[in-house]
Formats: sequence, C-alpha cells, structure tokens
Amino acid sequence: MASSESLLPVSSQQDPLSDSRCDSIPESRRRRPIKVHLAIYSGFLLIALYVTLIITHGGSAPKNDVNEDTTVESRARLAGVSEKSNVHISKLSNDLRGEAFAWNNTVLSWQRTAFHFQPEKNWMNDPNGPLYYKGWYHFFYQYNPNAAVWGDIVWGHAVSKDLINWLHLPLAMVPDQWYDANGVWTGSATFLDDGSIVMLYTGSTDKFVQVQNLAYPEDPEDPLLVKWTKFSGNPVLVPPPGIGAKDFRDPTTAWKTSDGKWRITIGSKINRTGISIIYDTTDFKTYEKHDTLLHQVPNTGMWECVDFYPVSKTKNKGLDTSVNGPDVKHIVKASMDDTRIDHYAIGTYDESSATWVPDNPSIDVGISTGLRYDYGKFYASKTFYDQHKGRRILWSWIGESDSEAADVQKGWSSVQGIPRTVVLDTKTGKNLVQWPVKEIESLRLRSKKFHMKVEPGTVAPVDVGPADQLDIEAVFKIKKDDLDVVFGDDSVEDDKEFSCETSGGATVRGALGPFGFSVLADESLSEQTQVYFYVTKGKDSKLKSFFCTDTSRSTMANDVVKPVYGSFVPVLKGEKLTMRILVDHSIIEAFGQGGRTCITSRVYPTKSIYGATKLFLFNNAIDATITASFKVWHMNSAFIRPFSADDLGVPSST
Amino acid sequence: MKNSSAVTSPPSLSLFLLLLLPFPAQSSDDLIDTICKGTPFFDLCEASLRPLSPSPSDPKSIASAIANVVLSNMTDTLGYIQSLIRHSQDPAAERALAQCAEVYRPVVRFNIPQAIEAMRRGEFGFATYVLGDAEKQTDSCQKWINSAGADDESSVPLTARNKLVKNLCDVAISVIKSLMNGR
Repeated sequence: MASSESLLPVSSQQDPLSDSRCDSIPESRRRRPIKVHLAIYSGFLLIALYVTLIITHGGSAPKNDVNEDTTVESRARLAGVSEKSNVHISKLSNDLRGEAFAWNNTVLSWQRTAFHFQPEKNWMNDPNGPLYYKGWYHFFYQYNPNAAVWGDIVWGHAVSKDLINWLHLPLAMVPDQWYDANGVWTGSATFLDDGSIVMLYTGSTDKFVQVQNLAYPEDPEDPLLVKWTKFSGNPVLVPPPGIGAKDFRDPTTAWKTSDGKWRITIGSKINRTGISIIYDTTDFKTYEKHDTLLHQVPNTGMWECVDFYPVSKTKNKGLDTSVNGPDVKHIVKASMDDTRIDHYAIGTYDESSATWVPDNPSIDVGISTGLRYDYGKFYASKTFYDQHKGRRILWSWIGESDSEAADVQKGWSSVQGIPRTVVLDTKTGKNLVQWPVKEIESLRLRSKKFHMKVEPGTVAPVDVGPADQLDIEAVFKIKKDDLDVVFGDDSVEDDKEFSCETSGGATVRGALGPFGFSVLADESLSEQTQVYFYVTKGKDSKLKSFFCTDTSRSTMANDVVKPVYGSFVPVLKGEKLTMRILVDHSIIEAFGQGGRTCITSRVYPTKSIYGATKLFLFNNAIDATITASFKVWHMNSAFIRPFSADDLGVPSST
Repeated sequence: MKNSSAVTSPPSLSLFLLLLLPFPAQSSDDLIDTICKGTPFFDLCEASLRPLSPSPSDPKSIASAIANVVLSNMTDTLGYIQSLIRHSQDPAAERALAQCAEVYRPVVRFNIPQAIEAMRRGEFGFATYVLGDAEKQTDSCQKWINSAGADDESSVPLTARNKLVKNLCDVAISVIKSLMNGR
C-alpha cells in the first residue's frame, strides 16, 4: 500500500527524493538541483560547440558524438556507413563522467535479455528483409560473426512461428562476391505476384562503393529459406551521377504502380539535403531512375534505412505496401545518419509523379521537432506487411548505451525491439500508434492487480517479487479536486517549455507531475529508472502531457550513457492516462497512451540486478494525488535457440 | 478400449470407431508395438498405426505415418472450429474460436506438411520442433476456449478433439525422438 512517508535516506550520494521531500520554498514552486542543472547545461554547451567544430570541418561525414576507441569508429565511417558504436556524451560532460565501472561477469550476464531477439553472441545492427512465408516469420539482420563490435557484416537469419520464440538458422548471406566484399548490408524483401520472394540489398564493394544487389531463395520449397542465391548479374544498381559512392544504401520493399511496374526508393543526400531516390523496374534486374525524387528535406543530412508504406485512415489494420486509394495516407520514414534518430512524417503520395508531400511541412521527415517512432534508443527501423495476420509490423535496432569495452567483455552487443504493430492513430490523424505484437502476451505468467492512491511526494513499493522481467499495464488518474485547485490558482505558473530531455528528469517536481513507475530499482532506490507522466498546465488552462523515461540514476556506473528521454503525448478529451512498460533486464520499452509516444531505453544497473530488482510507484508532484490502477505480469523467457545444421541437413556455415 | 470423452458429434468418426474396434490379439512384439511402448499413450499410438494399410514397417515410415495422423486430426479439428464459428451465437466464444482457427491454419496448411517432408529428408529435429509447436497451439486454443467460458455443447467436443490432437503430438514427438536416438 502507499506509504505516506518517503523512503529512508540512502547512503549513496544521490538520494532521488531528497530534493522533493522538503519544506516548501515560498517563491518558486520548482526546485532545480543546481549541480545537476549546471552539469547538464555545460554538457550540452560542450556538445553544441563540438558539433559546430565538426560540421565546419567538412570532409568525412559529420558526427556529433565522440568515441574513445577512435580506430573502431573510423572503420565504420571510412566504410561509408553511419557511426555504429556508441554515443559518448560522457566524455564531454565533466561532472557526469567517471572512471569506467569494474564490470564483472555477474553484473554483465544479467544484462542479457530474456525475451528480446538477439543472437547468441557478437554484434548485431539493422533489421533486414523481414517477411512471412509458408507459416514462418523470417528475420534477417546485420551481424558480425567475429566480434562484439561492428564489422565483417553478414546477414544473420532466424525464423519464428510467432515473432517471439526464434530458431537461429545458418547465415543467409556472406560477403563472398566483389560487389559485397566489404559488407552485405541492409535490404528489404518484396513478394512478386506469383508469391515468390526477391530480396534487394546494399553491398559495399571491394572498392567500398555502395551498390544494390538482387538475391532470392535458392529453394522456394524450403519453408525455412535457408539458402540464398545472388543474381549473377549483380549489382543491379550503382550510385547514379551526382550521388556519392558512399551515399547510396538500404533499398526498400517495392510497391506496384498503376501501370504494373514495381517501384522502390533509396535514401541518399545532396550536400546537406536528405533525399529519397525513386526507381521503377519490371524484373528487379534493370531499373529506370526518375528525375524527380520521392521527397527531400534540407538540412537533414543523409537518409538511411528509408521506409515508405501506406496506412489506413480509418481502420486499425495493416496494408500491403502496394495498396493505395482515398482511404490511405503514406508514411515516409528515414533514419538520420547525423543524429541517429528515426523520423517519420504522414503525407500524401501522388502515384503519377512518384512524389510525396507531408501533411505538415513544419514537421517534415528529419526535422528535429518532428515525429519519431520512439524517443529513446531506437534506430534503423523497418516495417513489413504481415499477410498472415493483416498487420504492418515494425522492427528496430536497439543498440547498447554502454561502452564498447563492456560490450567486448560481455561478448555481445545490441538487441531488437519487440516487434510492434503500426497503424495510423485514427483519433488524432496526426501520428502513428505502435503496440507490442499480441503474441508477446503468451509469455505472461502470473499477474497481480493493484489499485493504489499515492499522495504527493511519495514512493510506494509494489510487491511483485523479482522485477526484471515484467509487463505492466497501468491507468493513472489525477484527483479532480487537485486539478481544479491547480487550474484555479493563478500563482501556479504555466509550465512553459517543458521537455523531458532538458527539464531535469524525475526529481524535478511540478504541480501535476512527475508520477509513474520506478523500474529496475533496488530497495534503497540508489539505482532506478523512472517511467512517468509529467502533466503541465499550459496556456488557457489546457493540460499538456509528457511521457518520459529518466535513466540518469539507472546505474551507479558512469561509463554508460544515461539520458532522460521522452516527448509530448497527445491525450484526448475523456481519456485517462495509460502506460505500458516491458521490463526485460537491460532493456525497457515504454508505451504512453496506447502507443502514441514510445520510449525504448537501455540501462545497466550494478546493484539492482537478479533478486535485488524491485518495482516502485512514485508520485513526485507537488499538488496532485494520483490513483494508479495497474496489473503486473511476470514474463517468461522466450525460447530463442539455434537450430543445428544437422537438424536441417545442411553444412554448417557459421 | 474405452473412449472416456463425452463424444457428441465429431465427424472424424473414423478414429473414434477405431478406438472401439477390438484389437487383433497379437502378442508378438513387432516394430509398431516396440515403438508404441515407448510413447506416453500406447493405446492411442497402436490405434493410429495398426489399421494402416500397408503397415509401416520401418522407423521412418512410422514417424511419417504418425505425423500424418496428427495432420489429419488437426485438419478435422480446424474444420470443426470453422463450422462452430459459422453457427456461433456468443461473441466471446466466437472470438476464442477465431483465435484457435488463426493459429491452427498455418500449422495445418504449412508446418506439419513441412515437417513430414523434412522427415523424409532425415531432418527430425525440425519435425519435433513443429510438432511441439502444434501441441502448444492446442494448449493456447484450449486456454482461450476455457476463458471464453462457453458452456454450450460445442466446447465439450472441441475440448475432446484438442486433447486428442495434443496426445497425438506427444506420441509423434516421442516416436520421432526415439528414432533420432535409437536408429
């Protein structure tokens, strides 16, 4: 039950509630811990400075991160693909940087996820060519068979009946041709009219030129599609005039045009303008390039992993990539090389001109204030149409936020997000809605229901036993009287300019927030990750809600990246505040308002692991009492194991 | 041999009838006997394999035969579910049935035929995986039906069929595993 007293002071240097458990200060209602504020401010100033320096340099592609292992990061950059190793803000924000934590096997092995897709070991990045065929979901992925860092990239392969339990298969494609000698990179699958599959993928040639290649299953009767054949006439596309040799990658799934041709798009850039080039083909072997682009947005940099697909304006179901019509909008999505963020925009596709215009140009693709699938650690995402269940499914690469050294020590790096269904939000019409695929519920074990009232400034333990594999669904209500008070009280300032990322995290108290859960917390809350709502009173007394995840206190270790993530979340009249959280060891996926705002984060606790992991409900608001009704399930582990080559009767190629 | 489930009207009378037939009083331990003895449901195994003509005489064809029995029973069950959906009056029950159909369909249409083909090529690991998955689907289906709470006459025979398919999967997996080990 909710206790009216905050927890006992903790012995570590950070007492998460020390700032909030206080005698009220007459003037300001919000107290910002000065030290943290300064540190964040100086950190961002330094980053801005650094970014300016880099951009004015020209030369190699700009990056706004610094890696201590410069040799490894240069390898990715030289190879002509975006920086794959981790963003190290810590180097720049002096206060937050510390010694590397003395990671040991116990702490590291806890980090491995129980129900997210990951290979048994080594490095993974982009999802490739996802598809459903003859009763099996197929997943391919960028993989380094030799190390826990990016390099030697091949196509890994796994199959599943349900997108949750997986069988690892032999590698689908390796760099055995001159046209992919330096990497078998990202690509997409297309189903032809006769049900056969073609795969287009980017190869980095022996001279590091990015070209597009065609491949197809060697034996279409093999339901597991173990073996793949590369077209003898590869490459089928090379960088066109005016496009850089290292700015031409990640072909999309093709869609049909009204005159029966297939059409694809490939992201690129011209100077600093991100662009999407259009090609038509009838046989996937020869192509006509359009003179016009599908779309372009200035100052967004290189567009990687472009995705283009229709969504229904009225129905909550997926559409085949070729569908078009009056009931349909089209999504253009791209992964921004410069910022490592996936952006999308909703707009209208004009078939005859092969162009697309956004509904709202001020939040066009790649604009920093534009829409994202996910406001946390999430990149290189790709959708596919699941014809088995009529859904559009989104895969995403979730990289690590820890140091490369730790990845090497633990022997693996990166996971995939839980596949999500994607539909247009038919209520707002202005954003997509994502939700973990229903099949994940098959992992739910016993559950416990709670109904708790939490006073301002309270942290309440939630007794669920071990708390590192959970599925939480919660509904929050702010006490009406408190809302009325806040609205009626002119001395309560409008919370201007609130932003999850810059407003200081979950310890900074407002009238109506933050409140939510502390996950992966230890008993004393010396380590915790908060997933919460922050409700502000905006101008003209309208409520504005934000959904955030604060990882800044997720671990004592300082050689990991610990941001506060999040964004505004639309809450419509009559809706209650809802959130869902999937906790799976070192990954947390949070969904606000049914998936209108999603946040994935990676955390690396050193104490809050194994049996010490707990769950808390907190209310750090100053004025509002919160009622939370929620259900917590323990989650079983998924069955993800290799399928031995013997089982398949093929020679092992790993 | 007594069939303990309250059978009302499953169209796969064939298997039901088989279970009522008196068995030839054989005391010799032929291959079918030996193999069935190693499975969790000896009678079911015997009843599935004995009547086949020609009689499967080597381990591989026994494995194939039992997988085919799983396939035909599951196909029948899927057909039964689809007919229940057509006549359903209760939305909750209909949803549960639709979920069952959705998971059974790829198993029947793709996966078990793939398993049978795989066994022909000697890929028994794949076959056990597929049959294990098929069994899991019957468990899921049963869970959905139970929680839909329908107590009309249709859920009782469906439960019986699911149980039968589940046990057949157990038998099949056991047969294939003994092949993988003992061959």
